Amino acid sequence: MLPGRSRTSVLVFLVPPLLLYAVAVALPILQSLVLSFFSWDGVTDLQPVGLANYVKMFTADPIFWKAFANTMIYLAVCLFFQLGVSLFVANLLSYAGRGKEVAKTLYLLPAIISTVAIAFLFQRIYSYEPPGLINQILTTVGLGDLARPWLSEVNTVLVAVSAPEGWRFTGLYMLILYAAILAVPKELEEAARLDGASTWQVFAHVRFPYIRPVWVTTMIMAATYSLRGFDIPYLLTNGGPGQASELLTTYMFKTAFRSTDFGYASTIAVFIVIECIVAVGLILLLLRRGTDKS
Amino acid sequence: MKKPFAALAGAATALALALTGCSGTVAQPSPTATEIVPRQISWLLSRPADGSVITIVKKLADEYAATHPGFSLNLITTPDRPSYLQKLQTLAAANQLPDLFDTDATPFTQKLVKQGKLVDVQRMLTDLGLYDKYRPLALDYQRFDDGGLYMVPFEFELEYFWYNKALFEKAGVSVPKTLDDIVSLCKPLRDSGVIPISVDGQDGWPLLRYMSYQPFRIAGPDYIDKLKKGEAKMGDEVGSKAVQWMADLGSNKCFQDGFSSQGYTDARDLFTSGKSAMYQIGTWELASLTNPEVPAEVRDNTDFFTLPTTEGAVTADNEYTVVSGIGMAVNQQTYDPLMKDFLKFVLENYSERLAASGHLTPMKGYEPTIPAGSSELYKRALAGVDDLGEKIAFPWDTKLDPTTNTLMQQELTLLVQGDSQPATFEQKIDASIAENAPKFFG
Repeated sequence: MLPGRSRTSVLVFLVPPLLLYAVAVALPILQSLVLSFFSWDGVTDLQPVGLANYVKMFTADPIFWKAFANTMIYLAVCLFFQLGVSLFVANLLSYAGRGKEVAKTLYLLPAIISTVAIAFLFQRIYSYEPPGLINQILTTVGLGDLARPWLSEVNTVLVAVSAPEGWRFTGLYMLILYAAILAVPKELEEAARLDGASTWQVFAHVRFPYIRPVWVTTMIMAATYSLRGFDIPYLLTNGGPGQASELLTTYMFKTAFRSTDFGYASTIAVFIVIECIVAVGLILLLLRRGTDKS
Repeated sequence: MKKPFAALAGAATALALALTGCSGTVAQPSPTATEIVPRQISWLLSRPADGSVITIVKKLADEYAATHPGFSLNLITTPDRPSYLQKLQTLAAANQLPDLFDTDATPFTQKLVKQGKLVDVQRMLTDLGLYDKYRPLALDYQRFDDGGLYMVPFEFELEYFWYNKALFEKAGVSVPKTLDDIVSLCKPLRDSGVIPISVDGQDGWPLLRYMSYQPFRIAGPDYIDKLKKGEAKMGDEVGSKAVQWMADLGSNKCFQDGFSSQGYTDARDLFTSGKSAMYQIGTWELASLTNPEVPAEVRDNTDFFTLPTTEGAVTADNEYTVVSGIGMAVNQQTYDPLMKDFLKFVLENYSERLAASGHLTPMKGYEPTIPAGSSELYKRALAGVDDLGEKIAFPWDTKLDPTTNTLMQQELTLLVQGDSQPATFEQKIDASIAENAPKFFG
């Protein structure tokens, strides 16, 4: 039990942010939930429709399912960069000597560049006419046949819009994982090495188990950010061509602000919130299982 | 003692809130008020910040403010159309529409009209003594299907196909007479090493323009009004012909590779750099097509043709896409003597200034001043206005319900890229119209 005075100070410090959270986060989610049971174009009166929006979403809207599948691929590409590549780079950095600081800064740089600038940058990188960086490199190395309009082909566009988002935050997660690796006791690693463990074995049996909680936290951050990803795909292709790079978020945006169907858009928003909660739940389950095993 | 004090404090707070609440709401002009009380007027626009409309209106507002102390015009522009519409719809949903705002004659705007939120512009212009001064086509572009006029036009532009004479000659082709001729030009142009047509595929509307051409020629301007309500089907003869034509444009590689991720300026630059042989755009781009910075071999070879015809066309050659740009709507709630007086001042003087900046005007009787240094094409292109027919090929994006509009733009890209078949396209569009049209036209 906290003494009376500190309880007051705890309240004084905790209540304002909680109120802010309630007003800025919980309330809009609740409003979306309410709105999802209505049909509303923003101009005329709300029409209660019961579960019709949910029924439509789950049973009669192929674009929703296409967007959901796209979101999963988008998530996979982002996680590949933000959990896989960042872990790899963080490991490499821990062995690096001079220039480590410069490398860290360079990796972190994309995280602080504005999204619009990144979108423009990648639009040029992927460009076919005039040839952008990727197509130029392919032509130079004699793989000109592989050159293509990456953002226009339905088979390549989704990965092409996912990669910039993944790449962008790789540096940030790398930094978090690098800090975790630094905290791994050196004596453990040295003991393992003395016992003849290879670099891979040191990583797999000493380092990784040690940094696992941090890696899972990173996974939660990366997964929820990716599930909410919107800006880069929206700016690069606006979900196109067709719905080849349509994500749940871009579809929700279009439903609200192009089709002026705020009720149905809220239904998709509720789905996104639940999807994020489920994702976090699954990851935590993964963590618990891992901990139980070890 | 404490309780009465608390009650008093509560009452005072409530009163204060009520008072601030009153001052915060939009002033309700009394219908009988005739006195001009200067205040700030806000206009939410979706036009280029350095474009002629904003430049001229700003200047006129300054002049008006000089004689009406206390008046100011707050121009808030969001040139990016999707972002603009998002802003507008949010304001409309919150019942916070500004005094003046830009919008097209879309089904969404019609809902605002039905709610009594917009001033009847036909009545307003008649009242101001300006109605008869406008070009009928400029006003028609802003009208709803029922003839209602709720937006004021600020532009008047003709849409042409610009082409590069030298590239046509090199490929041994001539100006297309019919829409089908355009398709047959593509192969020889491709063989000669140029892109036949550059198009902005990133924004959906340019492809939708192409989609509107066949039906306009075969069935006239009413076709889209029937299609959008489901009275005509995309799978019908007229619709199928248009869909097949779009698919043919794609399979003949008429557009640049990767067009769907290329934007407005990319398409224009392909033409002005001599890489593409044709480019469809309105006279608003005349300055960039004819200015001295365009390489001479392109500038001196640029010419234009109007919308080609079809066999058995029901519309005349001099009838094609003519637009008067996004219109300006007037908020009924805040329309007061000041707004009326200010709008009269602006509209009376606007067209003359617009003509001086080298543009066609929404009002009749103003001759555009041709900018110094531009090629003779500039004058010739604008002269088209003297020989216009009576019908307009309306852009479909202002007609269709918003969901079908978005879907058609997306599906057109797939159709032209060869990622979708004509039958699939027709079936998807007809299904979308059946589902969504009743919400807007029911």
